[in-house]
Amino acid sequence: MPVTQKLSEVVNEIEGTIRSRFLGRTFWIKAEIADVKKYPDKRWCFLKFIEKSGSMVTTDIKGVLWSNTYSNIENFESATQQTFSSGLEITCNVGVRFHKRYGLTLEVLEIDYAYAIGKLELERKQTIERLIKEKVIIQDADTGQFYSRNNSLELPVVIQRIALITAPDSDGQRDFQKVVRGNKYGYAFAVTEFLTRIQGDEAAGLIAEKLSVIAASAEKFDVVVIVRGGGSDTDFKSFNDADLVKAVAAFPVPVLTGIGHDRNTSITDLVARQNRTPTETATFIIDHNMNFDQEIEALNQRFFRAADNCLDRAKNDLENYRQRVKNLSPASILKKGFAIVMMDDKIITDPGKIGENATTKTILKDEIIYSTVTKKTTNGNGIDL
Amino acid sequence: METGLTYNKAFAELQMLVRQIENEDIQLDTLADKVKEANELIKYCETKLRVIEEDVKRNLSPALSEGEGEVE
Repeated sequence: MPVTQKLSEVVNEIEGTIRSRFLGRTFWIKAEIADVKKYPDKRWCFLKFIEKSGSMVTTDIKGVLWSNTYSNIENFESATQQTFSSGLEITCNVGVRFHKRYGLTLEVLEIDYAYAIGKLELERKQTIERLIKEKVIIQDADTGQFYSRNNSLELPVVIQRIALITAPDSDGQRDFQKVVRGNKYGYAFAVTEFLTRIQGDEAAGLIAEKLSVIAASAEKFDVVVIVRGGGSDTDFKSFNDADLVKAVAAFPVPVLTGIGHDRNTSITDLVARQNRTPTETATFIIDHNMNFDQEIEALNQRFFRAADNCLDRAKNDLENYRQRVKNLSPASILKKGFAIVMMDDKIITDPGKIGENATTKTILKDEIIYSTVTKKTTNGNGIDL
Repeated sequence: METGLTYNKAFAELQMLVRQIENEDIQLDTLADKVKEANELIKYCETKLRVIEEDVKRNLSPALSEGEGEVE
């Protein structure tokens, strides 16, 4: 029977050895994280650091963040626009800890999110370059603007039949619906919702699936709207997914996005028509329809002004003719001092018919003079009146 | 009202009417008809902007059920 020791004695020795070996030392590591479990209430996070050779895990060690460093996770998420979750590669500073009950752990003291941002930015840039090479995106050399087949499609003059891709029961869904339904001009909309997860690893694939459902009845929609809203700044990554970007870029119906905030533009935004928020996307659509409404109203006014003018002109013409006819009437002529000479109750237009001793009637404005002709001569060069 | 009318068509026709009447390109006899035509086009646009037609709603229903079926 060998001499045995108590378990705690051995574990104590392990603990002592590790402590003395690693006391005061920290290490910067770059590793993939897995099995991430966050407890936001307690502000703890348990995870695993792993290293792979091909697909095989060759190194695997527990890691932890306690409440004193938990804010690193929040900062990481807001700076990189992605959820701190399994599958990420992070750069962090760790200390080596041993606990008699929980064993060996790497305690995370600091996360370097500049590294993560740099990596994301690089990925984004590489994706854009690849898509330009594949002619999915064209960048205007002068303006730097990006063009795709989708954002070059003309918008219908009025947008009413909307396919809405959004997360169920989300702020984005509520904000968008509230604004379009409550518009003060009374415009009507038919919004069909295609609900899916819009954040997380599978979001890009799920959104692309919804697009293909919509594509099957593309003629029933004026636009596709993708919104994601409210609060969460994290996990922007799915909108930089090359396959989703390609699906949007080639989509036959104009796509409007409202998925981000001021400072972020995803590649999906670049190939579609971007507004910052769900509310702004809804407002954009309402304004678009209002433009048409106003153009109709302007034509309306022009038409009736022109129709009025038409009538006025006709009235003026009529009045002119009336005046001219009036001016030529015998009454008007007599008023000016002319006279009408009559003989045998006929107006004389040819004075040759009047002989000496003839009886004539001279009609003036107010009087009629009866005369007998005593003498007749020619008027020579005329009397200057 | 003419069937198969769209916003684009209504807009184009209205524009044409305005041009005709502004250029005095119409007979006074037809003015009343033109006014009626313009009024109908305007009413078509204004109504369509504010009322979703039944056939649009009907058209959307299959897509709607599909859309609602995959809530996560």
